[in-house]
Amino acid sequence: MFLQTMVRSSVAVAAVLGFFSTAAHAEQEPCIGNSAATTGPAAFGGQSIKMGAEIAIDEINAKGGVLGKPLRFVQYDDAGAPPRGVDNTRRVALSDKCVAILGGYHSTVAVAQAEPVNEIGIPYVGVLAANTKAIENGKTPNFMFRVSAKDKWVARFLVEQALKSSKTGKIAFLYENTGWGNGALPDVKDAMSKVGKELVAAETFNWADQDMTPQIIRARDAGADLVLLWALDREGNQILRSMDKVGWKPPIIGAWGIAGNLGELAGPLANGVEVIQTYTFMGSMDPKKQAFWDKLKAKYGIKDPSEIKMGSGVANAYDAVYIIAKAIEKAGSYDWAKVREALYTVNYDGLVASYEPAFDAKDPERQDAILPKYYKLTVWTDGKLLPLEQTSYGKSN
Amino acid sequence: MRYLAPVCFFIFAAILVAVPLTAGNEYELRLFMLFLIYGIIAVGLNVLVGLAGLVSLGQAGLFALGSYSGAILSTRLGFDIVGSCIGAAIISGLFGVLLAYPTVRVRGVYLAVVTIAFGIIVENVAIEWQSLTGGTTGLSSIPKPNILGIRLSGFAFYGVLAVTLFVFTLLIHNLKISRFGRTMLAVAQSETASRALGINSTGLRTLAFVISAVTAGIAGTFYSFLNSYISPDIFTFSDSVRFLLMVILGGAGSTFGPVIGAYLLTYLPEYLQQFQLWQKFAYGALLLVVMFALPRGIVGTLQWAFNRLRPPAPALAATEGLPVETTLRHEKKMLAAELVATALTVRFGGLSALSNASLRVKGGEIHALIGPNGAGKSTFVNTISGFYRPDEGRCELDGVELTGRRSLDIARLGLARTFQNTELFGEMSVLENVMAGYDQRLTYGLTQALLRTPKMRREERECRQTAIGLLAFVGLSQYANEEARFLPFGLQRRLEIARALAGRPRLLLLDEPAAGLTTQEIDDLEAMVRRIAALGVSILLIEHHVDLIMALADHVTVLDYGQVIASDNPTAIQDDPRVIEAYFGAPLDRAAAVGAGA
Amino acid sequence: MTTTIQYILSGLAIGGIYALVALGFHIMWSAARAVNFAHGDTLMLGAVLAVVGVDAEIPLPIACLLGIIAGAVFGVLLERFAIRPFTATSNSIGWMLTTIAVGVMIESLATLQFGGFSRPLASPGVKSAVHILGAGVYPQELAIPVFALLVMFGLKLMQRHTLVGRAMQAVAHDKRAAALMGINVNRIVAFSFALASLLGAAAGVLVAPVIQVSASMGALLGLKGFAVAIIGGITSAPGVVISGLCFGIMEKFVEGYISTAAREIIGFSVMILVLLAFPHGLFGKREVLKV
Repeated sequence: MFLQTMVRSSVAVAAVLGFFSTAAHAEQEPCIGNSAATTGPAAFGGQSIKMGAEIAIDEINAKGGVLGKPLRFVQYDDAGAPPRGVDNTRRVALSDKCVAILGGYHSTVAVAQAEPVNEIGIPYVGVLAANTKAIENGKTPNFMFRVSAKDKWVARFLVEQALKSSKTGKIAFLYENTGWGNGALPDVKDAMSKVGKELVAAETFNWADQDMTPQIIRARDAGADLVLLWALDREGNQILRSMDKVGWKPPIIGAWGIAGNLGELAGPLANGVEVIQTYTFMGSMDPKKQAFWDKLKAKYGIKDPSEIKMGSGVANAYDAVYIIAKAIEKAGSYDWAKVREALYTVNYDGLVASYEPAFDAKDPERQDAILPKYYKLTVWTDGKLLPLEQTSYGKSN
Repeated sequence: MRYLAPVCFFIFAAILVAVPLTAGNEYELRLFMLFLIYGIIAVGLNVLVGLAGLVSLGQAGLFALGSYSGAILSTRLGFDIVGSCIGAAIISGLFGVLLAYPTVRVRGVYLAVVTIAFGIIVENVAIEWQSLTGGTTGLSSIPKPNILGIRLSGFAFYGVLAVTLFVFTLLIHNLKISRFGRTMLAVAQSETASRALGINSTGLRTLAFVISAVTAGIAGTFYSFLNSYISPDIFTFSDSVRFLLMVILGGAGSTFGPVIGAYLLTYLPEYLQQFQLWQKFAYGALLLVVMFALPRGIVGTLQWAFNRLRPPAPALAATEGLPVETTLRHEKKMLAAELVATALTVRFGGLSALSNASLRVKGGEIHALIGPNGAGKSTFVNTISGFYRPDEGRCELDGVELTGRRSLDIARLGLARTFQNTELFGEMSVLENVMAGYDQRLTYGLTQALLRTPKMRREERECRQTAIGLLAFVGLSQYANEEARFLPFGLQRRLEIARALAGRPRLLLLDEPAAGLTTQEIDDLEAMVRRIAALGVSILLIEHHVDLIMALADHVTVLDYGQVIASDNPTAIQDDPRVIEAYFGAPLDRAAAVGAGA
Repeated sequence: MTTTIQYILSGLAIGGIYALVALGFHIMWSAARAVNFAHGDTLMLGAVLAVVGVDAEIPLPIACLLGIIAGAVFGVLLERFAIRPFTATSNSIGWMLTTIAVGVMIESLATLQFGGFSRPLASPGVKSAVHILGAGVYPQELAIPVFALLVMFGLKLMQRHTLVGRAMQAVAHDKRAAALMGINVNRIVAFSFALASLLGAAAGVLVAPVIQVSASMGALLGLKGFAVAIIGGITSAPGVVISGLCFGIMEKFVEGYISTAAREIIGFSVMILVLLAFPHGLFGKREVLKV
């Protein structure tokens, strides 16, 4: 009896619920949200985004905010976990009602966010995660934008650099077995085939692997004379050490996962390892960079540029906030769809690049704002990651 | 108390209806839907942890299996949400069976490690099998929830989740208060005793694993529909720990505990976010606090406190029970049970515990088996009841071969036993202990238990009445609602006899029932054994107490060094020189001493 | 040929760590029929404290020593407050969850200290690689399996020839009987946990120069160490050391000839299969079921 009553009433409840439709969206507010890792191994990523975004927002608010209201910044931790990134996205869009959301450090999170972002229709601007597919996801209208490097372009850029350095043109690709590394594999293969070549080896490894000699041996035996590397510092260090053990020391060019503390971990072994960046505080600074650096120093109590582990993230987030703010002004409203439209019309001379315009509605590849010509190579030199042209490595090239 | 469960279910339903009506925005509703999904996992896991007493730290693996199965079925084959759920339930259910297999051989921490390993294997297979699972990039663009192609709105999907959780909670509550819940608890507390009562412990464990796997699988499918994206890093070891913590925090074994635990642990991260870098630390600290301060969980602690304040009446109205004369009566033709053991030999390593021992218990007789310490009496009992395999020889009950059968099958053939060191289900009530003994007589199946059909209710009523009658028979009526472990030792022995009788045995093995009893208690025991024999049950009594044997036994068999040295009526045995020598190592003239002692 | 030797050497290095961790599990299990499930975090703790010590400009050897001693103290405290309350009832696995909880807390503290980064620990053993038949290996890596074997023999000697060693064996055999013989069981259990954690922390300090120090360095090592202990038979010290070394070598060959991701799948599958075929491990003693 009891069961039957319960089942019957449950069915009735379900039927009642069926009549409700999705609630209407409320008015958006002048805030920019962000889901990034602020705890866990990649906490520095979330920290760098926070720095860049907050400095930009401080500047904008000092000049009167957007549409007469001050901008706010809300950051939630996703600890690198996609489901939490998805939850945070919904929280930012539906609970905080922010006008836009900045992306985080992890590519897996960005890929997962693409779905809710396009479903809800809130502009998303990635500032670190470089996975190609997260932004080029084939959806129209596409609410996913990026002011950061894109693996597809990074791959082309690095392959180009690699072929300059490689004598035989035999290039090995070592990448981490994560969404980021695996996502880059087709990009690198593509970039190679565009110049009529093929990778001689593509080897993968897991986080926290202690020894990569098997992979290194296979790459070496395949005859490679240069290694392209998609890794984080810890694994990058293991690769350098495994190469040292095997007695093979090819030139290495890497994506920016090894821009953190590889120099400290690997010591002299890291010397000469080249890393792509969109921005760096290291080396000599021009006046614009110097002014930005002074603000960072003052606000966050940083003493030395090397304390900023992800300079690209700081600058990308700074530029992204400005682009969003300008889009809001152009749209004349905090409305998501209108701001999205306006993003395609923003022109802005930023820290990383000169955006003219930031995005191009006609070209699906141009949901990305930073063009490859703004990518920079830096090189590990005695524990410091310096701009290539300011080192002996740059001069000899 | 009788209406507590229906009232709770009503409140639960009311909450499930109220939440979507009051949710401030879609985000809040989504978070609540996430809780519903975790609730489904926790409720299923509760069967494994709370009832069967097995710890799984690989539940995230089953959750992942369900998620991937559901996602692949819907994206590749275009299944709707119902089809995907069924597919995922079948696949994860099969893996549940697979996971249950190791429990045959390993328990406790070993089993926990097997489940951890399972979780890690699933996670890595999801990474490795790129063509199917998308590797580390995961699967995206999982279609929106739909039934037969009709897309469900957010609220309709909410309805599906809410109804599913509600129904699962209800079904598992029904399972808990049926024979399945009772015997799972019994198996968790003493597998040995369960086997001796004809309870299929392996089957029950498999059932528990399958239930927890199927619920996790269904929850996984819902999850992939809700998130429309899954990747291997969603299903890690720490998620398995979280699922387990949900059950323990809420109260393992209780109906609503896992639901409450799931609710708290779904919303907790939202609040922990303010601790920033300390949030993982806070999470660990919480786990620690729960283990120390609330080992019974929230609901368990409430129940315990409530029972402390208002303990249930220990006694039950004896009138509720049925007299044993009617409940234990056998058909006439079944009455006489004859046990024949022929030339049993059991060796442990090089040591022969039994060699060539034969014995015959005639139908309806009280047969005593005596012998000095280490003579092989316990080995004999354990061999007959199927706990040891004889190396040679055979035994039969009414011509049915017992050797080679599992102990639970032997019990079902009508051979019941007690244990030298009592093996009660300590944390169950006295009444439940006896009802567990009745289990082999119940015929209703799983579906009937889940739906509480009239047949199920009728059989349960009979079971309860029989048990109450049996408690009256052994004089334990006034302790019916006490936990068995709190009974004084002498009463524990009686309870074991009542439990053994509940299965309506035709032969009862009593393994040293008088050990540790007072003189008064032994007298009571003597009377009880006579009354049991009067019910038409053959009895094999293993004892030291000469008085008791002489008073009770129709026939006595004496074991020494694993061999039968005499078998005759009590008086003849008393005078048998070999027996005297075995006991006293002395020649004939000491016979008088034994005679005087008798 | 060179490749094979390279795999064997690399495998021995990592296998040595598994062996040391598994030895810790063996010691704890023998004493208490319970283990610190987060033993991997003891390893991490030793290494992290050594790095913190070096940061505080304590000389390297002393910093390492302090890390190891702190590990031992941690083990004693953990046993007293997180494990002992739950071993009174034989079937309880509460200690599994409490030690996991402590592990989570320790890991988050270490993350607070280090941010998310790995940190190096200097050691003369990783200055330059030595070459054996063409295969390269750091001296530090060679030292690890050697150390594991030394510890194993040392443990045997201690069990044979010292009072505390014999008391440990007595407790492992039968706690109640040992107590009746006048052995202070609680003290022996505490000592065992101290010893196990000391070895764990020492393993951490030893392996730190090779794999770098980070908050998450211990988790997987701990789990695999336990898997190894189960494969070898947790009651047998030589068993766990041998299976640890073999497990490490097996992993390298799987990595070399199949793939990195297959390593975990195969490793843990092997554990489950061994457990099904030999419930007490390959070298473990059988415990007879008594009814």
